Order: sequence, then structure tokens, then C-alpha cells
Amino acid sequence: MAEERLRVDALVVGGGIAGMQASLDLADQGYHVALVEREPSIGGKMIALSKVFPTLDCCSCITTPKMSAVAHHENIHLFTYTEVKTIEPNGGSYLVHCVEKPRYVDTGLCTGCRQCEYACPIDLPDPFQMGLSAHRAIRVPFSTAVPQKAVLDIDHCLLCGKCEKACPVDAIDFTQGPQDLVIEARAIVLATGYETTPRDAKAEYGAGKLSNVIDGLMMERLLAPTGPYLHVLRPSDGKEPDSIAYVQCAGSRDETLGVSYCSRVCCMYAIKQAMLLSGALPMADITIYYMDIRTFGKGYEQFYQNARAMGIEFVKAKVGRITEDEYRNPIVRVEIMEEASRVEERKHDLVVLSVGMLPAYDPRPLYGVPIAEDGFVEAACPNIAPPMTAQPGVFAAGTATGPMDIVDSIVMAGAAAAEAAAYLERHDGEAKTYAGRSISMGEKEAIHA
Amino acid sequence: MNAKEKARERTTALKRLREEHAETVARTQALLKEQQAFRKKLRAAMKGGPKTIPQIAAASGLPSDKVLWHVMAMKKYDMVREVGRDADYYQYQLAEEVAE
Amino acid sequence: MPEKKPKPETPATFARLPKEAPRLGVYICYCGGNISDVVDCERVAKVLGEQPDVIVARTNMSMCSDAGQAMIEEDIREHKLNRVVIGACSPFLHEQTFRGTVSRAGLNPYYYHHVGIREQDSWVTHDDPEGATAKAIRLMNAGLAKARHLEPLEPIRLEAKKHALVIGGGVAGLRAALDIAERGLKVTLIEKTPFLGGHMAQLESVFPTDEEARPALHELIEKVVHHPKVTIYTSTVIVATKGCVGDFQVQLRPVARGVRGVAPGIQAAIEACPVEVPDEFNYGLTRRKAIYFRYPGCHPPTAAIDWEHCTLCGECAKVNPKDIRLEREMTTFQITVGAIVIATGFQPYEPRPGEYGYGEYPEVVTLPQFIRIMAMAEDAGELMWNGHPVRQVAMIHCVGSRQVPGVHEPQPDGKVNDYCSRVCCTATLQATADLRRRFPQIRIFDLYEDIRTYGRGHEEYYRQASLSGVRFLRFHTEQGPVVIADPTGEHPLVVKVNDYLTWGEELEVPADLVVLAVGMMPGPIEDLIDVLKLSPGNDRFLLEVHPKLRPVETAVTGIVLAGTAQSPMNIQESCAAAEAAASKVAGLLSQGLVELEPFVAHVDLGRCTGTGACVDACQYEGAIQLETRVIDGKEVQRAVISPAICVGCGVCVSACPNRAIDVQGWTLAQYEAMVAAIAAEIPALVEVEA
Repeated sequence: MAEERLRVDALVVGGGIAGMQASLDLADQGYHVALVEREPSIGGKMIALSKVFPTLDCCSCITTPKMSAVAHHENIHLFTYTEVKTIEPNGGSYLVHCVEKPRYVDTGLCTGCRQCEYACPIDLPDPFQMGLSAHRAIRVPFSTAVPQKAVLDIDHCLLCGKCEKACPVDAIDFTQGPQDLVIEARAIVLATGYETTPRDAKAEYGAGKLSNVIDGLMMERLLAPTGPYLHVLRPSDGKEPDSIAYVQCAGSRDETLGVSYCSRVCCMYAIKQAMLLSGALPMADITIYYMDIRTFGKGYEQFYQNARAMGIEFVKAKVGRITEDEYRNPIVRVEIMEEASRVEERKHDLVVLSVGMLPAYDPRPLYGVPIAEDGFVEAACPNIAPPMTAQPGVFAAGTATGPMDIVDSIVMAGAAAAEAAAYLERHDGEAKTYAGRSISMGEKEAIHA
Repeated sequence: MNAKEKARERTTALKRLREEHAETVARTQALLKEQQAFRKKLRAAMKGGPKTIPQIAAASGLPSDKVLWHVMAMKKYDMVREVGRDADYYQYQLAEEVAE
Repeated sequence: MPEKKPKPETPATFARLPKEAPRLGVYICYCGGNISDVVDCERVAKVLGEQPDVIVARTNMSMCSDAGQAMIEEDIREHKLNRVVIGACSPFLHEQTFRGTVSRAGLNPYYYHHVGIREQDSWVTHDDPEGATAKAIRLMNAGLAKARHLEPLEPIRLEAKKHALVIGGGVAGLRAALDIAERGLKVTLIEKTPFLGGHMAQLESVFPTDEEARPALHELIEKVVHHPKVTIYTSTVIVATKGCVGDFQVQLRPVARGVRGVAPGIQAAIEACPVEVPDEFNYGLTRRKAIYFRYPGCHPPTAAIDWEHCTLCGECAKVNPKDIRLEREMTTFQITVGAIVIATGFQPYEPRPGEYGYGEYPEVVTLPQFIRIMAMAEDAGELMWNGHPVRQVAMIHCVGSRQVPGVHEPQPDGKVNDYCSRVCCTATLQATADLRRRFPQIRIFDLYEDIRTYGRGHEEYYRQASLSGVRFLRFHTEQGPVVIADPTGEHPLVVKVNDYLTWGEELEVPADLVVLAVGMMPGPIEDLIDVLKLSPGNDRFLLEVHPKLRPVETAVTGIVLAGTAQSPMNIQESCAAAEAAASKVAGLLSQGLVELEPFVAHVDLGRCTGTGACVDACQYEGAIQLETRVIDGKEVQRAVISPAICVGCGVCVSACPNRAIDVQGWTLAQYEAMVAAIAAEIPALVEVEA
């Protein structure tokens, strides 16, 4: 097949909230955008959260419309389960070589009915539920996934063919292989997001081996209406916890982990979760061990004060060690930093590590975009033009540029869109906005190399 | 492409996948076996009415964290239902028993 | 190329489709449990499915998801639905989403009605599942009744002026102006004072890069000033606006600068001025004349007359009669713009007299003042203040921020500043680092509640401060520090503080200088709030339409926020917000067309008798007017709506004695049908409601 290219004005890498917003902000201005997401669905980390601070909006209620808007926007070409492999400069634009991974499911036929998923015999830890529950080797990634199509994990597949038999529309297709595609883009927005501190990062906190010491994202799932247990229960034995503790800065402001920076979101998400927990478990005692409470955003300090008024206990303390007793209750050894500095051991039913944000992606090899000491994208002009990188035509948005919350990610995405638009206009020359051939699922082959 | 060619292509593809993924398929088969053995004990322990996770763990001798994970997996695919509550714990029951 | 100008269309001109029998699709959303945890959605669907005209009634875990929307689209096509009713969250959240769904399936998007059964039902009736289910059925049934009366509508399409107004010439306004101009749109930037640059010009360096503030600012100013798409008016304010997104008519009132051009010899004219006033550039630490430059190298590089303090004595004009004209007034003028960016900035919190000794002791200064003191200080030897060498400095955080009712005295409006000002922690520690570097012998005490060095590179200032021997003391809000005169006379002041890092004991910190890390308050923009009908929040900063998802838009479409008018931000954050605001403006205007909701008044000319009651009742100038028409050879008066100005408030509907006016999409007939349906007997509910 002759190589055909999709020519667009801008390529957005990453379909989390920042990438979606940057795509929408560019597409609304009339630019043609290709959005490339390596996971089988867009939505990023945000779609897995329970509720957002400080509005307490249900997260899926406010993320799904963005996902839907991206999927339906006439100027956005969405590529999921697709990774960027190489990039070459092409006289004022970039040739971006991508590979669409095989889903082993014909997305043109699949209706997302999940009968294949029910037929599949193997249960695997579901990353969407942070491993707290299971999914199958073939599955629709989650109930609000976009696209709402099944994907088969070949590395955990028995190749037993049960899904094939179950599928009412014959969508399972073992003949699929990786598909190369080439996108020519005049500007690039990196929205590659973040990872959280691994739960096993700190030996002092049990190195991930204590089942009742979970992290913030796991608690998000426990609190979410589509969560693994549909209740807040502790993972060791399904007990509804009476006493829950948060350990702040578990992975941030910690030189021993090489992370000297503050992750910005952990204070607020811990307070938010504490508030949601006191709603879900009105009798539970909730304690937050912290160094400094950093509720700096708009309305955040008031949110913190409300949490204090609700009876959530805030203790300025350093947590030195977490162990467990024979009933697997976590024992937290704290150095209380106020009044008489003293060391105490406190028992809780469940401990949540307020893990921090780490860079998820190194943009140097492919994009030539430098990173700073902290591992996040280095801005070329951080104060006046925050999304601009040293690489011409390449901009960065959201947590690729450092820890930030959803609202700041949305602002940064809008800023990146503005920078990219200005760049496109400056380098317009004779070439006008690319027509960006509109492609439907069925037509997709046309642009594959 | 007619149906015959399609079927042939599928067989070839599956054969190739089986060769390329021999190792992962074997590993997954081992995992499945382990899971089936676990489930057998779990189901036996769950028989006879609503039980909490610690009760199922005690009856089966299986570790309670793993019991919880499997019960939740079975609940997701409608093999187990949550049916009530006992103090700090929820109770679960096999779906076929609930239906009876 | 001449642009194709679409004619503004009015909904009244749309042909009504012939009425067909209603075929209703009813959808009830679980909202991921938000609704279904309380409301028995399946039961609601079952009862509604039995109502007349209902073809399908379905539920979904998340109707707004792609799968939910696809289901609705498929139903519309397959079952030839011509009305859709969705029971879900508030229409505020998803009405637009589902309009898109309905429209993609080929149905007029206004053949859809949204019923809020989350905010109006499951969230507020959560302790009574039976009652909540019954309520959902009633609300939905009323929705069905309305749906049977729905009419197809078209959005009002207006030509959008490819021209934006930016209010405020600080870093956020400049940044927004540049981005909008780069996008190819015209920009008018107005600044109330005679000079550009805002508060950033008063800084020496910017955290976290420690780059020099003014060169970075001047580079931006140069780009904006020389951009062919940008027009700048200094000393100019808005006095009135009319219109809506795409077409705001704005009245601007400039004040004369009094000085023309570079004006050679202007320095001599400034020296001749006999008036001296506190110089706001140095926060009152120094004095300036009534004809002045803001600072050497300021923009524009033309002096200006401070009319508030000028006595019109004419001394300056005697020195330079050619370039100085002591005439203040200028005529107002009008511009028409498609969108407005509010970048009116902040003002530092002004401690009330006596607060931590401010205004009482000259050794108590604010952080912005301290930054100016450091800017003016010579590096050699000792830092002198008020005639004494400074040996000990105490920094006090959270002055005018994180205030608690009952502990702190309220502001004149009766409220305390309960918010965090976000920038002061890092700004204080940056100033501390500067002090430590230039005057290493000075001992520094830092009195704080929480250190919030949250940003990239901010924590480094905190770490360095700790390493360099800055002594941190943590106070509790209820026991804030107290500043008094040093009874021993060794230092001018003593700060008494209960330090909770060590037993909560009272410590006494002698100090030669006390620096108050004051927070931010929004600039004084009451007039602008009035003119543009903006909404300030409880913290007095301007409100965004959704604090999470739509952070730079206001409730008024076409008016966006940039920078600290919205909330405290540092320079980086202000620039990012300004760029995001520019994106929104470009999204609105770059297509040259804006669409407005058609929910505006509509006059039935068959019933209108020209009483004019509607015109008298209308609160929106120009929204409804009487026009002379000839009917049956007689000249009569008839009401005519301007759809772009009408907001659909419905006051005219109630004022009309002939029932000749209706708000489209919310007609009297629709309301009556809904009321009847709410009160109707629903057999399935008899038992529940008994």
C-alpha cells in the first residue's frame, strides 16, 4: 500500500485532560488536530478519579463529556492504542511515525457489549481499579471508555478462542498486526502526563507489602461509584475501616527518593478524600499527618478549613515507619512536631500514602525537548511563555511540565494551544491551514503506511 | 475475500500467535490453573449462605486478601452477589444460591 | 478576500415544521450511582415507558458517556424518535452534550428536554429513596409533557467582530494581547494608569528563575507595542458597554497624558514641579512629582501628569511649553469588539493601622515595600533602615490572608480574607535569599503557619533558607505574633510569638525590621463589575463559570479572565492563564461567527396590540421595541425583539396583557403542560405517595 499521510496542523501527544483540552482549544479555532493516545481509551488519570476538589463534582460526570467532545469534534482525528515511534523534521513540519497496536478486535464491528469479556476465562489485576479488582484478557477498558470498544491483551491471552465464539458480531480478529501510520504535523503539543510515586518506593512504609497501606489513587477507586468494591473496604479482609490515616508527602519533598519538590495536589486530594470518607463512613476517625498544608489554589484554603470544622484531625508530624500487627492493622510511628516533639505509635485500620507526581515520559530522544533536574519538561521561557520548549514548534501542557492539578492542567493546555496557534500563524507562509482529511474508522486504512 | 480464505487466514494467524506467544500462553495457562484451584476451594467455602471475607477465609484456609480479590472479581462478572452486612463486614453469596 | 458575511438570523423567521405525532425517547441516567444509589432508575424507566407517546425508555450507568450517547443516537434513527427527554444531572452540565447527541442523529437539537434528577432529586432527597423515586417519576413526567410541546429552534447566529478588548496593561493583559494578536485578531488594550507593566515592573527578579523582572517585562511590552494588530490606550477606562459576544459596543474614556512624545528637556520640567506626592512605584517609600515617569526606562517613555495631584500651576509648562498641555479632558469614543479579556490585576493587601505595628512603627514594612527597599539599597556594608543598621529581620507570613472570623478584624465590607494568597510564601523566601546573599550578617526569623512553596523550583528557596540558618517559628492563627517596641531599647522592635515547633512557648524576637508578607486583593474594579455585569466571588475576586473545567471563562459568554483579577497567582501562572484566555477568545472569534441560544422572547403579531407594556417592563436596553407597521391600511405599533440583546428572562411575557409573547423553548403552553403533569395522578405512584 502506498504511504499516505494524514496532514494536520497540530499533533497532540496524550489523551488525558491536558491533551484533550489542548486538542479542543486548537480544534475550536479551526485547526486540524491529531490526538495520539497510547492506551486503548482517552481520559488519562482523571477518568479514574472519584470526585474533584474543591467542587466535589463527580469526576466521570465532568470528564466523559470532554472525551465525547474530542471523539466527535470534526477537526480532531483521534488515534487510541497508538504510540509515536519516530519523528523527523520535514522542512517546517514534523513527520511523525506512529504504530497503532493491534486490539485483535475489529473496532468497526465491535459494539462494546462485553460478551467477550464475560466469556474470557482468565482474571487479571485491573489497572483501572489499581489492581484492587479484576478484568479479563479481553475487555472494554472501563464503562465510560472512548472508544467503547474491546481490546485483547495478547500477553495474557490463552488463545482459547472463547471470546471469538461469544462475540455476536464476529469482531474478534486474530489476523490483526501493528499498523504503521504517518502524521505530518506543523506543531506538536506534549501532554504526556505523570506517574505517581510507586507504592513500594519506601522501605520504611512497608515497601508496598502491607496490604492495608494503599496510595491516593487506590483510595480514589475505593471512593468512586464504579470502584472495585463499591464500598470503602480495606484490601486485607474487606473490613469497613473505622480509623483511616493519611501520610502526606509520601514521595514528595523527600531527598531520600531524589524528589525534592512539592507535588502540589496531595494536600488537596487527601483533604477531599477525607471529606468524602466522612460522608461514606460517618463514624470513622480520619487523621492527616502532614508537614505543611498547602491549600494554595482558589477556594482551597476554605476547603481545608471546612475539613477541619468537620472534625478531620490534622497532625503536624513526620511519619518515620509503618508496620502492621498480627491483624494486619497498620501501626504508624509518628514524630509529632508540635508542642512537645515526641514519638508515638498509632494504630489505624487503613493508611493512605499521599503519593506524589513523577514524570511519566522522557521527551528527549524523540522530540529533542530538554528536561529539567526534576525530570519534567524544561520550559524555554518559564515565566512569560510557560508551555514553550526549546524545540521550535513543540509545546508542553499539563503535568508533563511538572506536578499540577486538573484546573492548572486545563489552563496550561489552553496556554499551549495559544502558543501553538501563534506558532502556526507565524509560520503560515503560503501554506494555509491543512485540510486534514476527515477519516472515519472504516477509512482509516488509507493513511496507514 | 471469501469465507474460506478468511478462515485460512485466521488459522494461520492463530498458529503464528501461538508460536510467538508460546511463553505467555503457557504462563497464563498456569495462572488459570492456579485460579481454578483457588476458586474451587473458595466456592466450596462460600456454599451455604451469606458470609463475610474473614468467614470465607477461615472456612477455606485461603488468605483473606486473596479471598477478597477473587470475590470482587466474581462479583464483577456476576458470579457472586453482595447480600448483606455483619458488623464491619459485608456478606457475599454465590449468585446461583441467591437466585434459588 | 472579502469575507462572506452571514446575515444575522432571527428565530422568528424560521419555518415551523409540520407537526407530527410525538415519538418520545426517555433516558434515565444512573450517574455512576449519584442518582441510582437513591432513585430506583429501573422503576422510573418502567413507569415512564408506560406513558403515552413513549417509544423507548432506557437507563444507563453514564448517559453522557460515548456509549450512552451512541445508544440515544441509535434509538433516534431506528425508532424514528422525534422528541428526547433525559433525566440526569443538572442541565448546566450536560444540556449541550446531549444537544450534540440529538443533532448528530439528525434531529433538531431543541427537540430535547433535560430534567435534573440529581441536583433536584437524588442529592437532596437522599434519605428517602421511595420518595426520591416518586419525585423522579413526577419530574420526568412533566418533562414528557413539555417535550410534546417542543418546537424546532435554531441558534441565533451572529457575525463576530474579529477584535478583542483587553482591559489591563500588566503582564497578564500584555500576554493575552500578544497571543490574540498573533492569532491574527485585532486587539485593543486599555490601561487605566499612564504606564504599562503593572506590578511586575516593581519587582527586581522573578521566581523561580531569579531572572531580572523588568528586562523580561520590557521584551514582552516591545512585542505588544510593535505588533501591527494591537492598539494601546493608556490612561483609559471603560464607561459603558452594550451588546453581547461577537458584538460588544464599548465606550472608552481616555484622560490626556498632558505630555507629548519624548519631550526633550522633560527632566527640567519635572524638577520645576512644586508638588510632591508619595511614589506608588516604591509603595510610598519615596516621593515623586505630579509630572512624572513611573521609573527610568518605563513604557511608554513619555512622562505623564498626575491630574489628581496636579495644581495646574503651570511651572512645568513654562519649562517646556511645546510638549506640555495642561488639559485633562478628552472625548470618549466607541469601539466594537467580539470579546473582552479582564486583566485588571491585584493590589497588595494594605494592613490596617496597628496591624502587627504597621503604620505605628516605621520599622514595620510590607513585603512589596521590602522588595523596593532592597532594590534601592547599596550592596556595600550594612543595610540601613530608618537611620539604624539592620541586624535582625523578622518576616511574618499570611498577613491579610488565611484570616479567620473572630480572630482577624474584617475588611470594610465585613468579610475576612479567608483565602491563601499563594505567592507570598515563595516571594518571602526569595526576598530572604536576596537578603541573605547581600547582607549575610543579618539574622533572619521567619514566622509562619504553613510554608507553601508548592511550585516548581519553589521548594528550593525553603531548603536554602533552612540551610542558610534562617530560623523558622510556627505560630497558630489564634495566637498570631505581636509586634511591640523593644523595652530594652537595644532594637527598635520585639516580635512576641508562641512557637509551636518548640512547646508553644512564647518567644521574643528582637527586630530592626519587620516584614509583613501581605496577600493579594483584587484591584479596585467596582465600576467595571457594574458596567460589564461581572460576578465577584465571596473572596471578591472575579468568578469563573466553572472553577474546575472552565477556569478562564466567566458566566458572560465572550468575557474571559486573565491573571490575578481571578485569584492570586504568580507571574508564570498569570501568563498561563492569559494565554488560556487568549485561546478562548480565538476559539470564539476566529471563525467570524458566534452562535447564541435561541431562548429569547418571540412576539405573536396576531395577538400584539402594541400596548408597550413589554417595553416598559424590559430590563435590557434595546431588547424589545415598538415599531410602526401598516396593517389594513392603518399605522399601528407592534413589539419587535432584538434576539441578540434579549436574554430570555421572560419579564415581558408576564407584562403582556394579551399573552402575545412567549420565550422560545420555555413557552406558556409548555409550562402549563408541565404543571398539569406534575399534579396529575400517576397510578403507579398512588401507593408510594399515600
